Amino acid sequence: MIVFLQNLVNALQWGSFYALIALGYSMVYSILMLFNFAHGDIFMVGSYIGFGVSMALIALASWGAVALPNWLILVLTILISMFLTSFVGVIVERVGYRPLRNAPRASAAITGLMIGIILETGNLALLGARRVSFPSLIATATYDLGGVFVTNKKIMIVLVSLLLALALHQFVRRTKWGMAMRAMAFDFAVVPLMGVPLNRMIALTFALGSALAAAAGILFGIAYPVLDPYMGILFGWKAFVAAILGGRGSVMGATLAGFLLGFTEIFVAMIFPSTLRDLIAYSIILLILTVRPHGFFGEPYSARLRL
Amino acid sequence: MAGEIWKPYSRVPLLGWFFGALVAVTLERLAGAPIARFVGLQKIPVLFGFSDMLKTPVLVPNVILYLLIVYVVPAAVATRLGVSPANGIAAALYRLPMAVTAAVHLALLYAILHVWAGISDYRVLVLRLTLIAVMLTLSLNVINGYMGEFSCSHPGFMALGAYCASVLTIGLFVDAQLFGAASLPPALGRFLFPLALILGGLVASVGALFVAIPSFRTRGDYLAIISLAFMFIVKSLIENLEFVRGPRGLSGHPDWADLPTVFLWTVLCVWSINNFVRSTIGKALNAVRDNEMAADAMTVDTRKTKIAAFLFGAFWAGIAGGLFAHVMRYVNPGNFGIQNLAEVLAMVYFGGLNSVYGSIVGAVSISLLGEALRPLEIFKWIIIPLLLILVMIFRPTGLIAFRDLDVANLLKPKTKPGGEG
Amino acid sequence: MTVPLLQVRNLSHDFGGLRAVRGYNLEIGSGQIRGLIGPNGAGKTTIFNLITGIYKPGEGEILLNGEKINGLPPHRIASMGVSRTFQNLLLWRHMTVLEHVKMAHYSKIRYGWFGAFFGTPGRHREEAEIEGKAVHLLDRMGIRHLADQVVLNLPYGAQRRVEMARALATEPSILLLDEPTAGMNPEELEQVMEIIRRVHGEFRLSILLIEHRMKVVMELCETVQTLDFGAVIAEGTPEEIQNNPRVIDAYLGRERAD
Repeated sequence: MIVFLQNLVNALQWGSFYALIALGYSMVYSILMLFNFAHGDIFMVGSYIGFGVSMALIALASWGAVALPNWLILVLTILISMFLTSFVGVIVERVGYRPLRNAPRASAAITGLMIGIILETGNLALLGARRVSFPSLIATATYDLGGVFVTNKKIMIVLVSLLLALALHQFVRRTKWGMAMRAMAFDFAVVPLMGVPLNRMIALTFALGSALAAAAGILFGIAYPVLDPYMGILFGWKAFVAAILGGRGSVMGATLAGFLLGFTEIFVAMIFPSTLRDLIAYSIILLILTVRPHGFFGEPYSARLRL
Repeated sequence: MAGEIWKPYSRVPLLGWFFGALVAVTLERLAGAPIARFVGLQKIPVLFGFSDMLKTPVLVPNVILYLLIVYVVPAAVATRLGVSPANGIAAALYRLPMAVTAAVHLALLYAILHVWAGISDYRVLVLRLTLIAVMLTLSLNVINGYMGEFSCSHPGFMALGAYCASVLTIGLFVDAQLFGAASLPPALGRFLFPLALILGGLVASVGALFVAIPSFRTRGDYLAIISLAFMFIVKSLIENLEFVRGPRGLSGHPDWADLPTVFLWTVLCVWSINNFVRSTIGKALNAVRDNEMAADAMTVDTRKTKIAAFLFGAFWAGIAGGLFAHVMRYVNPGNFGIQNLAEVLAMVYFGGLNSVYGSIVGAVSISLLGEALRPLEIFKWIIIPLLLILVMIFRPTGLIAFRDLDVANLLKPKTKPGGEG
Repeated sequence: MTVPLLQVRNLSHDFGGLRAVRGYNLEIGSGQIRGLIGPNGAGKTTIFNLITGIYKPGEGEILLNGEKINGLPPHRIASMGVSRTFQNLLLWRHMTVLEHVKMAHYSKIRYGWFGAFFGTPGRHREEAEIEGKAVHLLDRMGIRHLADQVVLNLPYGAQRRVEMARALATEPSILLLDEPTAGMNPEELEQVMEIIRRVHGEFRLSILLIEHRMKVVMELCETVQTLDFGAVIAEGTPEEIQNNPRVIDAYLGRERAD
């Protein structure tokens, strides 16, 4: 039982990353009917930007210019990186996807793939092959809850993820931009006729998705400090699968599916040898998709950005 | 004035171009080294001088001079001089059965490649890998272009073919600690190699059922995911199979995938796929792609069509995989992951969907570009993706999409202007 | 007594909670032209889809020459002699006109996979045969000159003819036409009606026609069924139907409700 709960905690953390990244996929898909294959690499970029920002803030603090307690550095890092990475997303959209707005979707998908490769290679070119390590901003404190060991980091990661998902939910539900996004999901062509600036809304969608991916990247850096230019590939594709599993365009579905994927991987690793983890997780997913092709909350083409 | 120079070249039949090329590569073989030294290069540039130009930009004029002296001028002159006899021979061949005409042209093409590659092992390797790339690209085009799916399972098909063929050849013919002593004498090997490849192709086809059958109910994005999952599953499966040494990979393949072998398989692949897509049964792939409901209403068995496309495409991917393993004489699961997927997708979409010409162009371009840009190391992976993005923006379906390859047309003699040409 | 070509008995079908077709009956003999009219959403295209096998009927039977065809896959039904056109012209955008017409011969092809992959002489002969028939058909439809055009580039009227030629190429015994005159001006209308008459006469087909334009129904159909909310509310000659109060009510009533 204890082992189960312990793994549950790990699964929640693992699932948080998938959920945050899957949200970005889902949002873009619901509006543009397009999977942004560069999204996983934006997660990677966000992580590295977080690294850069946090190092800069630490340097700033150490020069005595400003007194910055570690927790403040962390908060600032998250906020600033989310902000900066959202620009990366917007640029990707402007350069890669906007010219292909009317092209077959496969071509746009390929473009996304290529942009992802450029991001990875760019990282390698700029920083070389050496791995960078995310600075430790939180002293690890472990709590013993009846035999189950939970670190403060894990709690923070899960909480922050849920918070962000909730914030997104509220944004889409309550603000006028969110309303515009939902309208675009229903009927793309009509929205500009209603006076909504189409390009700006699309840019906003990419910005939000990228910001969430950046958050995931920083949280990931906190949990697993060693960064890698190819970290986006592994996470990106799996989160992509989670987005589909959740039903394309469903924000709640993507979140749920992200956590489900996390659970599946952790619990599979608990039972089977770890090398079989991917194999079994993917097979389960394949099975689910064969039986229920539209995912949990998805529907063929009608309702899209549903909550 | 420029028109005067180009006009005679519009009358050159394929045979004429081949003749010109043959003259050029023969010249290089016979006198390449001294000519290279003459223009200031240390030795014959292996891949049209790209690596020399990139490593030492000051040599660019020397390389260009070399290319002009050895390739461009001799080929141009020989082609120009040989127009009439070429047309004559082409016409004579054209009267014979198509199989004979085609065989002669292919033999000539092979001669060109053989002579060109004779200079260095590197060239032979590049050529073989490029031919394999052609097979991969064309077989993927059958599924993604002709039938319009977005299938990510091709690396998985390659892997199945590669490992199956490798297990058979290594297990039966090589005395490895892995499978025990060799069971069959190596002399038998060359004859059973095609069988091993074909078996690999068939295994890949069986694997394709896992993607083809779901394609009955789902299309588009969902099928993409299923095919992606398939790819990951195959890779993971191999990594977990101690029998084939898991992630460490297999090596020690017998050296049977030489240039003539790879060339022959490529020709077979292009020929059979071209036959298929030009037949009405093959065009059914297009009908299913463009409107499945209408195809159903017009007596097309859509399930059979989908299965055929996936199995046929997978078969050739499997064969290409088997050849790849034997060219590199080493294979590991890492060869068949996302990187491979990105490369093969790039080749198909760059070259052009739904087009045999497109696949050949795409495969050759990206392969050669990949090799030529090697000195740039990782920047290669910025230039190639950038190139592809540009093509996607300006020609979303690829450079040469939806173009039929009519063999008869290709081999026809070109009559003088004023008549039909 | 000869068996009628097409018999539909007590056909009913639901979509979720909605009963789209209720207790539909039909009998068409060889060479007859029947009409099917009714307000939008009455279920006319659904009936076509049920007959051609796109949906499996919830209840009822469909018999072709006495043989049960409900439950068979659409391509089987098509190869047995039931052909159709579509309301929204479902052409294959990247294919040429000639390829459209040749494709409809699919079920009759004998050369199989071997011939397809290896280009056997048998396959070449058969392909030449198919092409010959296809060109002949294009001739009769007056669009031979468009044979190598990709359908995407053609004007609407020509596209309609391609769809008709394609449907005829399956060599059907009965043709289901779904609003063949939709979107046409009066001149094109006459041309289409002429084509339908010729097709009926020369090919000796039975035709079931969904139409909104009374003119077409009056001039072409021998008898007409009127459908409303999935059930037949009137059946008879075009004159009888035109003056039937229930029919008028169905059309006008529907408008009033909107």
